[in-house]
Amino acid sequence: MLKIENLKAFYDSIPALKGVSIEVPQGKVVSIIGANGAGKSTLLKSISGLMKSKEGGILYKDQDISALPANKIVSLGISQVPEGRQIFGHLSVQDNINLGAYLYFKRRNRSEIEKRTERVYRLFPILKKRTKQVAGTLSGGEQQMLAIARALMGRPELILLDEPSMGLAPLIVREIFSVINQLNQTGTTILLVEQNAKAALNVAHHAFVLETGEIVLEGLAGELLDNPKVKEAYLGG
Amino acid sequence: MEEFSFANQLFQYLITGLTVGSVYAMVAIGFNIIYNVTEIINLAQGEFVMLGGLIMVFLHAVAGLPLILAFPITVILVTLVGMLLDRLAIRPIRQPSVLTLIIATIAASIIIKGTAMFIWGKDPFDLPAFSGRTPINFLGAVIQPQYFWVIGFLIVTVILLTLFFEKTIIGKAMSACADNPDAASLMGINVKWMILLSFSLSAAIGAVAGITVTPISLMEYDRGAMLAIKGFGAVVLGGLGSFPGAILGGLILGTIESFGAGLISSGYKDAFALIVLLAVLFFRPSGLLGSVEISKIKRF
Ligand SMILES: Nc1ncnc2c1ncn2[C@@H]1O[C@H](COP(=O)(O)OP(=O)(O)OP(=O)(O)O)[C@@H](O)[C@H]1O
Ligand SMILES: [Mg+2]
Repeated sequence: MLKIENLKAFYDSIPALKGVSIEVPQGKVVSIIGANGAGKSTLLKSISGLMKSKEGGILYKDQDISALPANKIVSLGISQVPEGRQIFGHLSVQDNINLGAYLYFKRRNRSEIEKRTERVYRLFPILKKRTKQVAGTLSGGEQQMLAIARALMGRPELILLDEPSMGLAPLIVREIFSVINQLNQTGTTILLVEQNAKAALNVAHHAFVLETGEIVLEGLAGELLDNPKVKEAYLGG
Repeated sequence: MEEFSFANQLFQYLITGLTVGSVYAMVAIGFNIIYNVTEIINLAQGEFVMLGGLIMVFLHAVAGLPLILAFPITVILVTLVGMLLDRLAIRPIRQPSVLTLIIATIAASIIIKGTAMFIWGKDPFDLPAFSGRTPINFLGAVIQPQYFWVIGFLIVTVILLTLFFEKTIIGKAMSACADNPDAASLMGINVKWMILLSFSLSAAIGAVAGITVTPISLMEYDRGAMLAIKGFGAVVLGGLGSFPGAILGGLILGTIESFGAGLISSGYKDAFALIVLLAVLFFRPSGLLGSVEISKIKRF
């Protein structure tokens, strides 16, 4: 579904990705693990179009999307849940959800929008109690849920998740990962970036290890869980 | 003459002040719309008002188009100027810092002013009042009907903008751009288009202010800068980015000027406003309604 070939990305002229090639097959969960500054967010931003100075191929359903702007890429069915939530803090929860459906927010799509809204509220019931609350006043966990909910409103076929577990209590992390699992089971393809390697490998089919802008290891998630190097570097021995 | 009491006189100043203040408020709203989406202070904001007045004079008083036609055409033409400002002065700048963009708006305002002088010359122009110039006796004060048009258009503008920002998805998308442009583009929002829209909207509002105030105060090519300063004063007074603040700030500024001019001396009317402005900034640097919370959350 998504195929990245020899992707390089630069901040000014400093490279953050030095030729990354990965593939995300349809219907799978693919995880990318790596330490701080490895280039994980840069990779996701390159795919979603936020990162503009890049070279190499990004093929989505055989179409090269590397030159498209972010607002076009989302219309193709790729939604990013950015690192650090990035919800619209001054708008209400409901406004955030509605903006997720911005591209098709028209009267004639009302029943679809209502159906999707119901669905995200079923995934995250706590949000339904807070529809009128100003999003910036939600707790960190609720904000993460809202960020995912908002992305789900965009009719995504591929979701890019950037560290959804960052700064959250274990119980909430489990809830978020269970949602990731559910989403995948209903057919959504997922590319997940995480520092919480254990959780990320448990939910994934396939995984990559990114170090200073390069893929150093890849394989089935189960294999990586048993890999001694991965154990030592990312799973705490 | 004795019957024209001091209280009536004060009421007269109040109405005059609210009228002038309505114009400042509209300029201030224009500032805030662009600021909220881009963080740019568009110093060409006053030129929209000037153009609104002068184009209206041309279409209505010179070319003879009826009011009902000349008004919307003027608004559309000034809106186009706002769009051009974005396309020619703002968007082409490659590595925009807010400061370079603000300087670009100053350059644009000089060009607009020069062009206006070239077209209309230096003389002030009058425009027929919308519903005549027979003063109305209103609660003891003698008031030009045009005053009510100015205040009325401020109210209409505020209502329409409130509906736009609160009830439409485009309005919400504009707020989202202000909040977080990257996240907004991840929703499929075309941020550049929203910036264009913000320039169009504030140009349109500036045009309305210029059209409605010209029958009262006339209009000439170099009025823009002073209006921009007063409007900006209203913005700072009310709190940068806050729409209720812009309205409050504009009305207060206009009222102070009017009372200062009437009771003390008209020569110092600009000074009164500045003194109050400085005082507010001294005691409440964020402006009257400018706490981060209120200014950002309560759009109107
Ligand atoms: N806006 C930027 N300007 C300059 N350099 C940047 C910028 N953003 C990221 N970098 C650099 O690019 C490299 C990769 O950053 P990136 O954010 O992709 O890492 P990451 O793997 O997501 O890290 P983390 O786990 O901390 O989120 C880092 O060295 C970082 O300093
Ligand atoms: Mg990151």
